[in-house]
Amino acid sequence: MSQINACRECDTAYADVELARDELARCRACHAVVARHAHTDVDKALAIAIACLILFFIANLTPVLGIEVAGTRTEANIWEAVLSMDNGWIALSAGVLAVTMLLAPFIQVVLVIWLLTFARFSRRAPGFAHILALLHVLRPWSMTEVFLLGALVAIVKLSSFLPISTGPGVWALGALTVLLAVLGRFEPSSWWALERLGET
Amino acid sequence: MALPRAIDLGLTKCRVCGLVAAAGPDEVHCARCNHLVTVRMPASAEKTLAWLITGIILYFPANILPVMHTSTVTGHEDSTIIGGIIEFLRSGSWDIAALIFIASVAVPVTKFLAIGLLLWTVRRRSVWARHERAKLYKVVEFIGYWSMLDVVVVAITCSLLQLKTLASAEPRLGIVFFCGVVVSTMMAALSFDPRLIWDGPAGAT
Repeated sequence: MSQINACRECDTAYADVELARDELARCRACHAVVARHAHTDVDKALAIAIACLILFFIANLTPVLGIEVAGTRTEANIWEAVLSMDNGWIALSAGVLAVTMLLAPFIQVVLVIWLLTFARFSRRAPGFAHILALLHVLRPWSMTEVFLLGALVAIVKLSSFLPISTGPGVWALGALTVLLAVLGRFEPSSWWALERLGET
Repeated sequence: MALPRAIDLGLTKCRVCGLVAAAGPDEVHCARCNHLVTVRMPASAEKTLAWLITGIILYFPANILPVMHTSTVTGHEDSTIIGGIIEFLRSGSWDIAALIFIASVAVPVTKFLAIGLLLWTVRRRSVWARHERAKLYKVVEFIGYWSMLDVVVVAITCSLLQLKTLASAEPRLGIVFFCGVVVSTMMAALSFDPRLIWDGPAGAT
């Protein structure tokens, strides 16, 4: 147990303080958050993570947007959008889209469920340290909310000359964006507190 | 009032898990997450500069080359990012034009300037406006990925506009360069160690 903490942003050192629930400590030099109360409501976080997984499937298995003209119907969701760029060098963009819109959010949610399911039964999940490190790396590359905004822009763009309709996917995507943001509030750093589980 | 810094105490905070531990001259691995712990991210400024230059170079083809090709009954058209914005303006949706302008032009250019400024001041070990620069870095980190917006719009448009002779759209090479700009600027921000802003002579805090 270290007695000293430091600011991640500016390296100012502080003596560790006990924080009460919902309290956080800010850096006096740069105002970044130095420490939070290390507590994760496992049940709540797990419920949100499972809801995210369900919404993720709905968003990807149903159309987000659709167009129907003269008997021809086309649909779009994240997977369709990735596939539309599957063409020569442009597939590089498909790769970036697949990672940021599909893989990163999916892996994040699955890993969180894995960690929390074990935590639920007061066990330390296998691969704990690797998983938390991976979550740290994935975090900036998960961009579900950008897809949602992109879908809204596409509606405005195309609705002037084509009959565009929204599918169930757009609602699932909206809810997923909100829940992922809530899940993101459970700081990965506070998940390290789960590490003590199973050691005693 | 000068606050003590971890580096002066021979300590460092793990970038991955946040555990504070002693940092020696040898390679140390974090006791908690086993990530390599260094006092400062190795070659942070150099890596950031390399990604920044990559991003700026890619920005030119991203804007010059068309990002999408549309064929409708009225004809064929190649559109660039700027062209798309102008089209929204002409059709009266100035709000969407503003949104795409912010995501595709303002954000990348702001990131180039901001990261450039951070690198330059860090190199000079400047004490000037540290708070503001720390905030600037946070903003750069936060806004970065919204530039993917135009890539998403092009991808959705191309998957919807598959209406045979009536209207069809396919992506063009410009979008790959634009993706490259987003990834490079994000890598530049992630490579930058914000603690460098506060290194150098202790200034007014």
